[in-house]
Amino acid sequence: MLKQDINYEANTPQQTWFAKHRFPIIRHAVINLFMLIILLPLSWVLILSVKSLPDSMRGQFWPRKFDFTHYSYVFENIETLTGNMMNSIVVTGATVLLTTFFAVLAGYALVHLKPWGKTFVFTILLLSLYFPTRVVAIISIYELQDFLGLINVTSGLILPYITLNLAISVLIMRSVFQLVPHEVIESARLDGAGLWGTLWFIGLPLARNGLVVVFIVNFVTAWGEFLLASTLINDQEARTMPVVLAAAQGGMGQWAWPRIAAVYIIVVTPGLIAFTFAQKLFFKGLAEGVVKG
Amino acid sequence: MDRGAEITVPQSVATARKHKIRQSISAWTFLIPALMFFVCYQVYPIFRIVWISFTDFEFLSTEPANWIGFGNYIEAYNDPLMWKSMGRAALFTVMFLPGTIIFPLILAILVDRVRHPLLATLYRLILLIPALIPSTLVFVLWKWMYNYQIGPINYMLVEVFNIFTFYNAPQWLGGTNLTLPSIAIMEIWWGLGYHAIFFLAGLASIPREMLEAARLDGANEWHVFWHITLPRLAPIMMILVVLRFGTSMAVIDEYLIFGGFNRGAPTYTWTVYMYDQAFNIGLWRQGFAAAVGMIGAAVMVFFVAGLVYIFRPRG
Amino acid sequence: MVERNEIELKLQEANRRQLLQGKIDRREFISRSMVTGLGLAGVGVATKYGVGPAYAAEGRPLTPTFYDWIEGLHPGIPGVNERFPGINYQIAPVQGFGIERFVAESKKSDSTWDVYVGQTPFVEMTSLIEADVIEPWDNYIPADVIDDIIPSIREECSVNGKLYNWPFLLDVVGMGWHSGVTNKAGLVDAAPATWDEFLDGANTIKESGAAPFGATFDAHGWRSVAPLAHSGSSDVYTPEGLFDFTSDAAVEALVLMKKIMQTSNPDILLSGASDGGVNGTPDEVAFSTQRVGYYVKYFNAPLRMAQYWDDPKQLHMGPLPKVSGGEGSTVFWTTGCALFKHGQNKEKAAEYIQSLTYDRQIWKDSIAGTETAHVGQLPPYSSIYKEWGESKPDWMLPFVGLVRGQLDRAKSIDNHLFGLSQFQIGQPFWEAFLKGEESDPRVAMQNVTDAVRAEMNRG
Repeated sequence: MLKQDINYEANTPQQTWFAKHRFPIIRHAVINLFMLIILLPLSWVLILSVKSLPDSMRGQFWPRKFDFTHYSYVFENIETLTGNMMNSIVVTGATVLLTTFFAVLAGYALVHLKPWGKTFVFTILLLSLYFPTRVVAIISIYELQDFLGLINVTSGLILPYITLNLAISVLIMRSVFQLVPHEVIESARLDGAGLWGTLWFIGLPLARNGLVVVFIVNFVTAWGEFLLASTLINDQEARTMPVVLAAAQGGMGQWAWPRIAAVYIIVVTPGLIAFTFAQKLFFKGLAEGVVKG
Repeated sequence: MDRGAEITVPQSVATARKHKIRQSISAWTFLIPALMFFVCYQVYPIFRIVWISFTDFEFLSTEPANWIGFGNYIEAYNDPLMWKSMGRAALFTVMFLPGTIIFPLILAILVDRVRHPLLATLYRLILLIPALIPSTLVFVLWKWMYNYQIGPINYMLVEVFNIFTFYNAPQWLGGTNLTLPSIAIMEIWWGLGYHAIFFLAGLASIPREMLEAARLDGANEWHVFWHITLPRLAPIMMILVVLRFGTSMAVIDEYLIFGGFNRGAPTYTWTVYMYDQAFNIGLWRQGFAAAVGMIGAAVMVFFVAGLVYIFRPRG
Repeated sequence: MVERNEIELKLQEANRRQLLQGKIDRREFISRSMVTGLGLAGVGVATKYGVGPAYAAEGRPLTPTFYDWIEGLHPGIPGVNERFPGINYQIAPVQGFGIERFVAESKKSDSTWDVYVGQTPFVEMTSLIEADVIEPWDNYIPADVIDDIIPSIREECSVNGKLYNWPFLLDVVGMGWHSGVTNKAGLVDAAPATWDEFLDGANTIKESGAAPFGATFDAHGWRSVAPLAHSGSSDVYTPEGLFDFTSDAAVEALVLMKKIMQTSNPDILLSGASDGGVNGTPDEVAFSTQRVGYYVKYFNAPLRMAQYWDDPKQLHMGPLPKVSGGEGSTVFWTTGCALFKHGQNKEKAAEYIQSLTYDRQIWKDSIAGTETAHVGQLPPYSSIYKEWGESKPDWMLPFVGLVRGQLDRAKSIDNHLFGLSQFQIGQPFWEAFLKGEESDPRVAMQNVTDAVRAEMNRG
């Protein structure tokens, strides 16, 4: 390169801050566009929850009259709401933890312990993803739970819930463990770390990102599951949240929109707050993956 | 030394074999918990459905079921509604699947490059908010959004921007041609955040040094993306595609909620047809419904095999 | 009938205990024993004497299960429950909860609940009977009660002369209008007597700009085709109990619907927002935004939607218009109570339902409205109407009297296994006519009948 060229580049005052930073600016602009797409509907719901009834049936965003009574209406009419939320939290939490545990074990085994018959297991798991079991098998699941005496037992839901996403969780963990070089595992084993040690200290940290994914998949399914929860549990106190919420939307419409919006806010906020605190742990896992990887 | 080698070789072979057996056993121990659940709640019901599909079982009837072999399958095969409803599910999948992979991918790549720690965390937080909302509430939200008279979308179009009037505004839901795309948009919105997190997880596993080295070598962004990032993301993408293909072909909750049992509606897919026959019409012909379900599943498996082939991890 | 004897024993036990505890005197004891000995004809009498709480049987307490919306719309129900201490009142969720659970349990000769409040005869009653889940009330309902049920309602609730549905909440299809809109359009503030007047009024509303839409209705068949057909003639059922879509009255109803659609909201044919598209329908939204003049539906709908108006009092209601020279009938259905065959506490259940259905507070709340709900569902008993006729309460609304008159002519939809689904199956076909895809209404209706037949022949 000629000296002149270099000098010319360095001496260009026309490059404004905007031009120089154009990539980050475009990046943030696009990201923020998506953020808006996510947040705008939710802010509409927030406003809806404090609109007076006539205002809720007009298109205007800002209400003429505010009405904060919808929140108390919710608590008065779904007395069991806090209980139902606790049930959902317990069931979802247990499902997520147990499914992750089983999936980690199974995924690890399929890849690094290489049992006889692993391809067969893999194919079966993959195939099972495509059977619409949940709908037509609702009757057989009911019978199974009845046989186990788990009808109307909230924690009994955990068993079928685990299975809902077990196949995909195992497949995810398997894929993630495939990215861990086998030599690393072998050398750890030769070094004398036992079966569990190898998994816990070596395999798992490298597969941490898969854990995040499995967590989310199972959480989302278990948190919102309706069909099984409504068929297998009858008592209001024992029910999970989605069932109770569904009752609020259907029927003859005494649940006006602002009231459902209030339910929305009540249901989502605690999760949000909890998540804000938990996210540090959560995303730490992702970041560490970068360093270790 | 030679003699030592002679002695140790057979010994190591023996230990190796013993070890292999031990490893197999422990592998199966690891597999057993998962398999146990799987067999009870997944395999057993599937066998039951397969069994029922070969009978004329009607749930509400007090008569016992009779074996009719492939009768149900023949009936379903010849039923135009079976294929029409299957086509609708395929149509929805085509509308939904690309959007739910591409947009989160773009988002993930962009967010991944954000260096400012506070912003990075904030973005990730917002991305996960829709995942915290239970599915039934997501549907309610979008039913409101798409509402013909007073939903914000039509409000904007009719009363703010005056593009349409009360008489010709778009009818987003309820059985029109816009219904499937509208539901697809809703699903994409819902998955935007958490698919992006999937991809972020995948991107985070790419060692930075590799990327830096490539850039220093003079590779431009597109090059880096195509040759380094994308292959590393392939396993996650395949999982996502396979997972979402399955769920989008087998959607049922949304269709029951948004479209009900009207056979003329574009939301009346093969899963709704199955449910209709199994729990709604007449004496609940679950034998026939099971056959419909099996045929649907077979078609899906066929396509997924193709997808797995396309997206298999290379290298 | 082993259960009955057990109940009698328990009641007698309760009597003796009360005597020993000095709660009742000898004479009371003897009369109560007679009552108990008489068996169930005396249940009503026994209630008067307050025999025993809900724990009549040694087994479980009385366990009714209600559709959630019922309590939401009838806040008087907890008051009734208080008269039955120990009752295990349960709620079934509305959306997606079908009768699968009931059927699955009855196959094992079991039932978690004793009585189900929320059954609609033409919808699920036939299915429940076929699957042998419920039994008739005839052995448990007092004779004077069963005679008090308005005859057309009793017919709706009976199969082969036995009462399988104890009616509770009556919905009648009529019409409502926004008097603010009709006044603005210069129309008379009264229900149009014939469909011709109705159509004229709707056109006037739309053309004068008083509101964007002149009239609306709910496009589901049992809420539109059936009542409009009945307004011409209620003899529109085939011998086997299906709706006769090809009858003259039904075809005329279809043509009428198309005419009304010329002034209605464009999304009128779209499915609703909940319960499989059956509730939260576009007509409801349109009416609640005050953009429509006339509204044809069961009274509960305009009443609920008017809650969203700035001035709900502007809602007025009246009977369904009639076809000129036609019968002037309409459709009604009841939401009632089903007795589980494998349930328990059957006599107690009968007591409870009687107390529930005759509760004056519930009816007052339903007609006059409360803070939280104004539902407009009516009682099924002629004695109650007679009472109101003789001394009209100050909270009474005019539409009740008008509807009572029509009730003598109204008819329910015939019970049939395909009672509801015939409308679901047929909908795309008659809608082809409404959307202009098929120009001959008779052909469209013939397609409906063929499709329903085809589906029926499958099973």
